[in-house]
Amino acid sequence: MARRGSPARLIVALSVAAVLAVFLLYTSIAGGGTPSLQPSQLQGHTGRVSLVGLVAGQATGDAHAGGLHFMLRDRHAMTSVPVVYKGSVPDLFKTGREVVVDGKLRNGTFVAVPNTLVTKCPSKYAPKK
Amino acid sequence: MPDLGRAALVTAFLLLVYASVAGTFAAWHSRRRLAQSAQNALIAAFGATAVAAAVLLAALARHDLSFTYVAQHTSRELPLGYTLTAFWGGQEGSLLLWLLVLGGYSVAAVLTARRVGREVLAWVVPVLGLVGTFFALLLVFVASPFATQPAPADGAGLNPSLQNPYMAVHPPMLYLGYVGLTVPFAFAMGALLARRTDERWIVATRRWTLAAWAFLGVGQLLGAHWAYVEIGWGGYYAWDPVENAALMPWLAATAYLHSVMIQEKRGMLKVWNVLLVTLAFCLSIFGTFLTRSGIIQSIHSFTQSSIGPWFLGFICFITAASLALIFLRLPLLRAKTRLESLVSREATFLYNNLLLVALALTILWGVVYPLLSEAVTGEASTVSKPYYNFFLHSFGLPLLLLMGIGPLIAWRRASLRALGRTFLWPTAAAVVAGIALLAAGAGSSRVGVIAYTFSVFVLASIVLEFARGTSARKALGGVGWGGAFASLIARNRRRYGGYVVHAAVVLFAIGVAGSSAYQTVREARLHPGDSMTVARNRLVFRGFESSTQPNHRAIRANLWRYRPGKNQYFAEDQVSNEVSIRHDLLTGADLFLIADQVNSDGSVDLKALQKPLVNLIWFAGFIFVGGSLIALWPDAREERRLAERYEGATMRA
Amino acid sequence: MTLALAVGAVLAIAAVAVVAAPFLREPVAADDRLLPPDAAQQLQLARAEERDRTLDALKELEFDHRTGKVSDEDYRAQVGMLRQRAAAALRDADG
Repeated sequence: MARRGSPARLIVALSVAAVLAVFLLYTSIAGGGTPSLQPSQLQGHTGRVSLVGLVAGQATGDAHAGGLHFMLRDRHAMTSVPVVYKGSVPDLFKTGREVVVDGKLRNGTFVAVPNTLVTKCPSKYAPKK
Repeated sequence: MPDLGRAALVTAFLLLVYASVAGTFAAWHSRRRLAQSAQNALIAAFGATAVAAAVLLAALARHDLSFTYVAQHTSRELPLGYTLTAFWGGQEGSLLLWLLVLGGYSVAAVLTARRVGREVLAWVVPVLGLVGTFFALLLVFVASPFATQPAPADGAGLNPSLQNPYMAVHPPMLYLGYVGLTVPFAFAMGALLARRTDERWIVATRRWTLAAWAFLGVGQLLGAHWAYVEIGWGGYYAWDPVENAALMPWLAATAYLHSVMIQEKRGMLKVWNVLLVTLAFCLSIFGTFLTRSGIIQSIHSFTQSSIGPWFLGFICFITAASLALIFLRLPLLRAKTRLESLVSREATFLYNNLLLVALALTILWGVVYPLLSEAVTGEASTVSKPYYNFFLHSFGLPLLLLMGIGPLIAWRRASLRALGRTFLWPTAAAVVAGIALLAAGAGSSRVGVIAYTFSVFVLASIVLEFARGTSARKALGGVGWGGAFASLIARNRRRYGGYVVHAAVVLFAIGVAGSSAYQTVREARLHPGDSMTVARNRLVFRGFESSTQPNHRAIRANLWRYRPGKNQYFAEDQVSNEVSIRHDLLTGADLFLIADQVNSDGSVDLKALQKPLVNLIWFAGFIFVGGSLIALWPDAREERRLAERYEGATMRA
Repeated sequence: MTLALAVGAVLAIAAVAVVAAPFLREPVAADDRLLPPDAAQQLQLARAEERDRTLDALKELEFDHRTGKVSDEDYRAQVGMLRQRAAAALRDADG
């Protein structure tokens, strides 16, 4: 059916409009997403980003006191950036693992937002190619 | 033995290709024996897949490390139970499970679909065959579980976080859900291909859809519980792409379960229903793709693998083909009735549908956002928790409210005066509850108060619905209250089973709101003898204990009744967090302890969370299963009626 | 190895046998068409569905009225129309 002027059409139209409005409202208030970058892309970004990279070198310090210090480097390049992080460290965190952490670049150091460190699953569980 | 497995998979693949090709030909040119032969091929393919699965299971049980799959996912020290569940611990095994479950569903649905009509069934077989062909193709040519290698001394082991009883049941449950959504899709497409617009395909798939949907729901709850007790960050849902992967088809299927009732009751929304079935199916394939391809970063997706492009191609093909078919059949799908009023049961179902689909699509948007933003701007952006929470609140809370409003409104139309009367008590209960909550200091979270007020409203309306129904039933015939109550449910299982499921969803919402909006978190570094207090619980740290188990070393912080700690797995060379949880069954709250960091000086960084009402979430799971069972339970009266309707109608003429 | 081969061979033969079964059982078919329902049967089907739908609607309206969900005036406004429709559907379906 769905002849002109039927309430079903009206409902659909109104609801779609309402949903769109809510969506637009959200994107205008909160902006888009958080940029997801590798260390080499960090230059020039001052806002909050989510940094993806491989843990390079030994991690030092105490994540629950002065902060855990480690280097993150690009997946396929040697560009790296020092990171300081506080909060929970995932079980799978170790040198060579790929991790994601949110934060801001300040004076050449990536200052992480506490408790945002996440590891990606180790490649060991993926099929060898 | 690997040869047998491979041969069985090739056999299954060939049978499925035959079922698709011969089945299409038979349906197109109306060949009865060929259609039967294609159907037999579909059934035989299930047998062949079962043989392949048995081979893999046997290899796992015998620790046959010459199977690459066995070597990669188990170790000799792994307990037998987890060795067997490693069947679905990796990509190839999961795909095999998919195919096996699809085979089971196909056989069961095709063999029990007596009333659907031969000409429709002839088209259902090739659709099921086509979906099966895709998975068999992957298993034979791209991701074989039967690859071999020189046997290493020991296997790589199973990811420690998968070594948990929940992981033994959570993936099969999810798969029973994902795969089950193929059945309504195949029957809908079959009916369209055969140009049938009657409701036999809906009647034939009713139970399968409901079962698949229930499995998907239970599977997600089990996954959430697994995350809660095993991953150990103190939560149960993190809007991870893999978690969203199961939520999206569930939401679409929920929308379908509601809107299909409008088609059955009023003969409307035929196009919308086939669209929803298609959406649910595509989302379930997309969900499998997300979990298996690793295209989107996620803590539990498996890294980039070769099956990604295949899946993407298949999803595009399915979407395009089904949309084209629906478009071609649009003239057949016109409804003869129309919505009579904006204030009616149908209308509330429509609102609920739009909200559910909107929620599913915004989640989908969030999931693919990194890919889209990378394609457009060259720089990937991700959306996180605030995005999802915002939409959960703006679409989920109205949905919650609708769950209370819907049952109170009659079909077709309702005058506002009548509504005022039916809404009186639930509204009063909600207002009283809201005031009480504010007085008790729950105003610290506005969303929490709204969710609770709505929940009370819904619960009151459900109770009212049961009470009025029972008393009306009692007035009808000389039975007692118990008898009237039982007959009320027995006479309309789907409706009252649905209300029970609604109650489960409300309990779930109460649990979620309580444990997220009102939780207390405390962190401290404790040396032996130190103590901390969280939500009036005093915790004293007495030092570490450690013990050696067959495949791991266990370190535990001794805090009297609590033993949070870490396990160090040998073969896997991994550490896993072992949390300690104490349930307070009276209040439904949990005290959740995490030994976040074990320090060399003998101190521990302890994280303690007090999560009110969290146990309601798991309790809701049982109610959910109960409600689903009520709706699924065979109904002799309904069966007789359907038999009379369809056999009578097709035999006589 | 040989066992695996044997099992594989059995599997293949069984598969072929199952697929060929309809033709083996019925080498010459008197009528090999799928026989979809003709127009009259389809109409009958649609009418049977319509009949059940209207009867259900009527039953539900009665019950909802009894539980108080449907007010007297809403009930009166709808019951006549639904009864007529149900009577017509019954006539159609049985005629």
